[in-house]
Formats: sequence, structure tokens, C-alpha cells
Amino acid sequence: MIAPQHSKDPAPRGNGSSGGGACSSGCGCGSGASSTGSKEAPANLATLVEKAEELARDWRLDAVRAWKARTKGIAVGYLPVWAPRELLHAMGVLPVGVMGAGDDLEIIRGDAYYQSYICHLPRSVIELGLNGALDCLDGMLFPATCDVIRNLSGVWKLSFRGKLSFYLDVPQDFERELGGQFLRQTLLELAHELETRGARKLDMGALARSIRLFDENRALVRQLYTLRRDEPWRVLTSELYPVLRAGLVQPVEEHNELLAAYLDLVRSATERRPLDQARVVVSGSFCEQPPLSLLKTLERGGCSIVDDDFVQITRWITSDVDQPHNTGKDALDWLVNSFLSDSTDSPVRYCAKGRKGDDLVRRVRASRAEGVLLCAPSFCDPALLDQPMLQDALDAAKIPWTNFKYAENTGQFQVIREQAGTFADSIKLWSEA
Amino acid sequence: MKQSSTNTGLLAVGIDVGTSAIKLAIVEDVPGKPRVVLLKSERLRRRDPRVLAQSLFDEALAEAKLSPADIGYVATTGDGEVVPFRTGHFYGMTTHARGAILLDPGVKAVLDVGALHTRAMQIDERAKVLGYRMTSQCASGSGQFLENISRYLGITLEEIGTLSLASTKPEPCSSICAVLAETDVINMVSRGIAAPDIVKGIHMSMAGRYLKLLTSMGATGPTLVTGGLASDLGLVAALQEAAKAAEARIEFRSHPDSVHAGAIGAALWGAFRAKKLSKLGVTLATGESGAHA
Repeated sequence: MIAPQHSKDPAPRGNGSSGGGACSSGCGCGSGASSTGSKEAPANLATLVEKAEELARDWRLDAVRAWKARTKGIAVGYLPVWAPRELLHAMGVLPVGVMGAGDDLEIIRGDAYYQSYICHLPRSVIELGLNGALDCLDGMLFPATCDVIRNLSGVWKLSFRGKLSFYLDVPQDFERELGGQFLRQTLLELAHELETRGARKLDMGALARSIRLFDENRALVRQLYTLRRDEPWRVLTSELYPVLRAGLVQPVEEHNELLAAYLDLVRSATERRPLDQARVVVSGSFCEQPPLSLLKTLERGGCSIVDDDFVQITRWITSDVDQPHNTGKDALDWLVNSFLSDSTDSPVRYCAKGRKGDDLVRRVRASRAEGVLLCAPSFCDPALLDQPMLQDALDAAKIPWTNFKYAENTGQFQVIREQAGTFADSIKLWSEA
Repeated sequence: MKQSSTNTGLLAVGIDVGTSAIKLAIVEDVPGKPRVVLLKSERLRRRDPRVLAQSLFDEALAEAKLSPADIGYVATTGDGEVVPFRTGHFYGMTTHARGAILLDPGVKAVLDVGALHTRAMQIDERAKVLGYRMTSQCASGSGQFLENISRYLGITLEEIGTLSLASTKPEPCSSICAVLAETDVINMVSRGIAAPDIVKGIHMSMAGRYLKLLTSMGATGPTLVTGGLASDLGLVAALQEAAKAAEARIEFRSHPDSVHAGAIGAALWGAFRAKKLSKLGVTLATGESGAHA
């Protein structure tokens, strides 16, 4: 699962702690040792999925608190869509994905910070911050996804003085000399900030090892997506989704174990068998995450999801970072290069006119999907501004689509079920194929 | 692809899992002339729908002298996830439309009156749904509401239709809210209004709402009433009266098997899919337990 290694780079490739072993830095960060506590693999699929769902709903960050108590390390949260988890890991910091509280928390104070035409995620994150659920985090990263998240970073800085609040500006120019230098400098600034707050000094050898662990994570996720594309009845999206989300609060070593265990269990799940469902791609859910019940609703409505953009950080970089052609003076360059040239097309990433729709059509073809569900959070500017372009591209390619909106706390799915159900029927009964 | 014992057409099973009952149909898709082999239904009565669906399936196959291997497709509609041995699932509107066309080939619209929702659909001769309207989440237009009323009045559901037809002076009832309507009924009982007049008043209230669903989307022509309340002759009569009073060009009809329209439609669409998939070289297991969301 680890990419071919070569040795001409300054940080030798191939001597890392891949395979989910303990962190070799001796820092006591627990990134490798991490895998403590819950070593035993769940014996069956139901138990594993139950554990994953528990972690996916862990908005109080109990797992992170336990990790900190165990390792005395520091933990830093990040919002969607991308954060340099490899860098944090290499510095002994636990990267923690903060995706709001879904439908588990009533928003009261969070609503006071945002107008009614703003999406739900920032309200939820503010609520979590104010009610103490995120106290265990030593800082927060706010990736450049939209104005709302940018503003949230400012709110955070004012509300939680003393904690790291880092606006992670990422380049929209993808030339190494320009965007690459900018991103490298940003990441070095982040590393400096983390170091001043107790993280280990950034070491390129450690970063290379961390990159390999996350490459393993990406490879496992790719295997799951391939298996789901080929046998969607074997890998239910309503299971895969919490399995991915579990990794937002777990050290990568533990998440790799979880992914591998899930992969083994679904491959050998003899009681599962093919179902006649409409194959669909879900697009638009890259930032505010949909409630699990929404995905169950789509599946029950007769849809098999064969590609999606949920929990996109697990697939933001589309292949291994540690590859022979990925050159540079150190491991930080590998990471920067992968961000520039190997990250997924997304509404939060600049794409030349026409390319966004082209990518969706390519994904539909590659996954042999029969239709697309444009499923965006309410008031999500990046997703909804792209939607007309995507619809045009789908129409031109004669790919059926339908669209609907959700919020992370949506609780009524009758209308969506009706829409998904009739869409699936129209594909199965009235399409020409 | 499995063939029937007579080797004339594909056999498919449709299972309609409703809120209060499970309906099952076995159909034989003889080219150009599909036929219903067997119909069964069972009220849930607080039983586990998974267990009930399985036993209904087993009993139906035994009665029809068939084995699971004879069935080319098990299609569900309604709450399909309680049927782990299904091959595929179809949405309620799609199945009621297809069932209606088999039962009454000339219909232009369908009124599916279920326990929790009522849905009006305009369809074409291929059973394609052209447009639809649905009652909101309020229960006043549903079978569950009528079931509650029958409990208050101390009568069985089966008696409602006959009582309604015997009414001479229907008592108007709230058509807005199930809670208010139920209060109305309690008042009527205390005022000594006869049960047939109460029931007829409720039927008229429901009929008025359903007629609006159809006329608001411009439906005209023969309209088949399907779903659990299709067997309520009092409701069908009230619909006919409401259409006449409003001078709507809608002719309400019922069919002895209307209650099974969803299950019949699911089975027919299942047979259609089985043939389509077979042409594409796709094989799906049928009739055996499996697991899926």
C-alpha cells in the first residue's frame, strides 16, 4: 500500500513507520502509540460500524480527550476541506476534524453570530466552542474555503484568546514557483506557531514518515471507494461514511486499522448480495457534512452511491504523496507539490472554465453511474455557485440529475426520500440503457 | 432468468409494506398480457414487519406451489428495507400507477389513499407519472384518521363503508386538522348524531380534500382509487358525489383488487427490470435473505 520508494531525496524514503506502527520519533506524542486503547479489531461488521458511528458522533471529542490524557500531546482542530494533517502528525500534534455537531446539538448561542442566510456549520462550530466541547483543542485551523469560514477564524480569534487560531490560506495559483512557494511559506508559519505552543520541531524525516502513514490511509480509502464502485451492495455508503468520519478524531494509525478491518469484513460478508439499485454520484457535500440519516434515506429510496465528496480530506490528494516523480528538496515540498498538482477538483479550488463540470462527468463515467444527486448544504456558496455549471455539463453529457439541499441537522427526509425514490425509478424504468 | 411452471412468462413478487398492512402480489408477466397469480395481505397489528413480510412471502409461494427459485424478481414498495430478500425497490407512486393500469387500463389518474398519506397522480397509458400532488403531514386526509374515528364510534373499519352509504343527513366535519376533526366527532357523539351521518360527514370532508388534489393539477377522466381505503365504498361514493357537485370532469372508480395496486405494480415493474437486466447480462439473486440498507 505504500508507494515505491526512491532514495535521491533529502529525506530518505523507505525507513518510515508505515503500517500503523508506533511513532519512531520518541517524542511521546502518541501518534504511533496512539494506537493504544482500542487495539483489538472489532469481531464483526455490526460492531465495527457501531464503533465508527460512535466516533463520527463524538462532537464532545471524548476520543481526543482520552488521547491527550494518554499521551500528554497537543491536539489541533481543522475545518473542512483540507488541512496538512501530515505536518501536524510529524510534529506530534493530533489533527482533529471539526465538522459541527450534526443533529445532536441544539444551536442557541451560535445563531447569534450569523445571519439567517449563512450555512449551519459555523453556527454549530461556535456553539461547540462556547459550550466547552472543543476545550481540549489547543488550536484551530480555518482552511480557505469561503468567506464564512474566513470570518469564523476572526470570531474564533476574538472569542478564544490564547488559543491558536490559524487562517490557512491556500494558493489558487498552482505553479510551484508562485503558489508552491506561498503554500510552503504558509505551512512553515503554521509549523512555527505549533512549535511555540509546545509541538515538536518540524523535522523532514519525521514528515516523510507521517506522509507515508497518510498515504496508507489514502490507499485504504481508495480501495474502499473502488470496491464500492464495483460492488456497491457490499460497501454501503451509510457505513463507509461513519468509517471515514471516525478518522477525524482518531490518530491515523488507528484509523488505518479501522479501514483495513472494515475492508476485510465487507469483502468476506457473505450475507450481502447484489441489489437492483440506481447507481448515483452525490456531489456538493464537501464542506458541511450531511446527516447519516440522509444517506440512509437515499439508499432506502433505491439509490446506490458509487462516488461522492463526503469527508473530502481523506481524498483531497488523489494518490500517494510519496512517489518517485514527486521531487523537491524535502518532504514539505512533496506535500506542497501534491496539493498543487494532485488534489481533487472542488468548488473551493480554482478551475479553468468548464473543467469543473468536466470532472463531474468524468467521475460519472468512471464510476458507471446512471445519474447525479446534486446534494449541497443550504446557503453553501461554493457548492451552489458551481451548481449551474455542473448542471449544464451533465445536460450536455445527457446524464440525469436532480438536486436538493440539506443542513447538517436536517431531521425530516420525506421530501428527499420522495425525490430520490422517483429519481431512482425514472433511471431504472425510463432510461434508455 | 426464471420462468413459471407453465413456462409462459416471468414470475415476480411485489411486496407493499404499508404503515398498517403488508400486501403481496405474485404476477406472471406473460408478454402483452400480464396476469395476477395470487394476492395476499395481512394487517400489521403491532407485529414485527420483517417477520410478517417473510411469513407472507413463504405462505404465498406455498399457496401458489412455487419456490423462491421460480421467482425472477422480488420487488418492494413502501417500507422496503424490512424485506431483506428483496431484489429491488420502487417508489410508491410508480408502483400504484403501474398497478392501476393493470387493474383498469383506461385510467388517467390514480388516487392512492394510504394510512398516513394520500397521493393524487396523473399518469399516461404506460403508467408513467406525469404529475402528482400529496397531502401534507397532517393526518386528516389519511386512513389512520379514519381508523381513529372508527375506534371512537365503536365500529369496525369494515363497517364504515356500509354505514356511510346508509346516511341520510351527513354532518359536516372539519376538513383542516385531524385533531379538530376528532374533537368535532366527539361533540357529534355527545349531541346524539347518528353514526352513519358522522361517518358520511368525514368521508365528504376527506373527499373534498382529495378532489382538490386532483383538480389542482388539472386531472380529468377515469380515476382509480387505490391503497388501503380503496375498499371503503362509502369513501368512493363520497368522491363521486363531490366530483359531481363540483362539476369536475373526474370519474372515480374502484376495483376489487385496488388495495393491492402497489404490490401488483411493484411486481410488474420487477418483472420489467428482470428482463431489462437480463438483456444487459446482469444477474441478481432473488428470494433469499440478504442484507442491505
